[in-house]
Amino acid sequence: MSELTLLILQFAFLALLWIFVFVVVYAMRSDLFGRRVKKLPDAQAAGAAGFPTAAPAAAVSTNAPPRQQAPVPQSKVPTFTPLEGSSAGTHPRATTGNASRLVITAGTKSGTEIPLGTMPLTIGRSTDSSVVIRDDYTSTHHARLMVWNEEWMLQDLDSTNGTFLDGKRVTSPVNVPLNTPIKIGATSFELRR
Amino acid sequence: MIEASPRVPDAGRGIRRIRVPQKLRNLELFLLVVACGINAFAVVLVQLGAIGTVDSTVITLCASLSVLVLGMHFALRYVAPNADPFILPVASILNGIGIAVIYHIDLINGDTGWDSTAIRQVVWSAIALICAIAVVVIIRNHRVLQRYTYVFMFAAFVLLLLPMLPGVGQEIFGARVWIHIGPFSFQPGEIAKILLAIFFAGFLVQRRDTLSLVGRKILGVRFPRARDLGPILVIWALSMSVIVFQRDLGTALLYFGLFVVMLYVATGRTSWILLGGGLFLAGAIIASQTLTYVNDRFSAWLDPFSQKNYGEDGGSFQLVQGIFGLANGGLIGTGLGRGRPDITPLGQSDFIISSIGEELGLAGIFAILCLYLLLIARGLRISFAGHDDFGRLLGVGLSFVIALQCFVVIGGVTRVIPLTGLTTPFLASGGSSLMANWIIVALLLRLSDTVRNQPRLVI
Repeated sequence: MSELTLLILQFAFLALLWIFVFVVVYAMRSDLFGRRVKKLPDAQAAGAAGFPTAAPAAAVSTNAPPRQQAPVPQSKVPTFTPLEGSSAGTHPRATTGNASRLVITAGTKSGTEIPLGTMPLTIGRSTDSSVVIRDDYTSTHHARLMVWNEEWMLQDLDSTNGTFLDGKRVTSPVNVPLNTPIKIGATSFELRR
Repeated sequence: MIEASPRVPDAGRGIRRIRVPQKLRNLELFLLVVACGINAFAVVLVQLGAIGTVDSTVITLCASLSVLVLGMHFALRYVAPNADPFILPVASILNGIGIAVIYHIDLINGDTGWDSTAIRQVVWSAIALICAIAVVVIIRNHRVLQRYTYVFMFAAFVLLLLPMLPGVGQEIFGARVWIHIGPFSFQPGEIAKILLAIFFAGFLVQRRDTLSLVGRKILGVRFPRARDLGPILVIWALSMSVIVFQRDLGTALLYFGLFVVMLYVATGRTSWILLGGGLFLAGAIIASQTLTYVNDRFSAWLDPFSQKNYGEDGGSFQLVQGIFGLANGGLIGTGLGRGRPDITPLGQSDFIISSIGEELGLAGIFAILCLYLLLIARGLRISFAGHDDFGRLLGVGLSFVIALQCFVVIGGVTRVIPLTGLTTPFLASGGSSLMANWIIVALLLRLSDTVRNQPRLVI
């Protein structure tokens, strides 16, 4: 074995080692740099930036024509009651006993439900979230629904665009009342019986 | 394509799983094959560089490790299909490069058969991997561990005390951390660190509210009440007694650092880091004034090139040889099999990082450090995405054990901190350390499987 061959082999080995490192980094890129954003259709993007256009699936079938400007979703009605914090009084707190499903009320997948267990749910753009929302407004790890003393709590994970419970931005973990909209980007959902 | 996981009832349209398990495992298989190839290449290079030909030792050294890591991969396909695909390949490549460098030192010393450290390292890797497979297969849900929080505490203390027992305990190079039964010697402290991580996680999940909510604010930092200082003082006393009685600085730093970091993660209070750092510094300074072996380490660290420290028994000879080795390696190294890592005492265990630095150079050392970084980042990532607090804390603890060990050893060899006798995870020769680190890998894989179990809706 000549010196030169050994030197070339040494370079080849170091190159291979670094290629391995970069292959691993490339394979985990979505964890390091966040997931790629899926562009939304224009109408929906406007909805996320402005007022909610999509009504709950039930409301659509009964009263709302598809292109109506700013329909008043039925589930939003409690929002307009004048008393501060009265929504918590109107709707009982969601517990593992009384909330059995999470219903998407606005967004591309509106009308979809997922059953709630007792396990916490994470919401965000990353693939290991329980609910993966891939749009411009969602952070990689956006929010978390967790169970404290059998009650569902909503926690914002320091997201860029915020998590809104009944129109108010969530800063610290709060109790989630039943049938109250939680808004993340263009998507709203509720916990229901 | 698996449309929906059988554990989640189908909930209408829109449910599909992204990154289906099969895809994760295939990625892992691909990376593992590359890793085994790199390991074989390393051993071939060592033989070419040191003896000029390639003989059948390559097969004995690489095949068994490759077969076992692939065995672990296939076990994961059945028992943890959602586990993280990066941890296993990264750990195997570190283990393989370690074996190659140890094999070179054997070649120089002329050790063959059972005298060869590399052969013994391969056997220990096999035992460690079998343990890891057993852990993944037996522990199907990490929350089972939480039930036995205090059993683990008791077991950890027993393991820590074992080397102090006359008869089984044994003193090697001044540190009393070994037990000796028949032909086998073992460092029980390595296993104790895993048990302690499990105990700390279980304990802190129960107690963190009192440890984080009350206290007085001084200069904008909320400090805990005096009565809540109990746990940290107990652990501090424990690590100080490790310094005094077992004469092992590194292990003490490992246990105490682990507790302080887990306490910080559990409570989110900076004051614990300040308190912990202050306590350990105070302890270390007192130890360096009163205990001669600690004092020697400090002076060897601060002034290794003085003739007095260099020539003294227990002085800086080893440290300086390691640094000379690193310098000899330069940017791209002398080439595998063509350096002289045997000149440094313990070049195959404590100083393996300077042996690797000599043969692979700065470029190689940085690649190794990147691999550690990826491994630890995966561990922290798994715990960040975790669903239950116990699992999250346990993930942080286990990955931090590896991180702190790397820092203490590599920092010691490169003169960032005083030199202490910890093992470099996966690289250094030593059965107990390999076994402990592979069990940590198995636990992290188990945690990641539970975490990834459920993307339930994709919008």
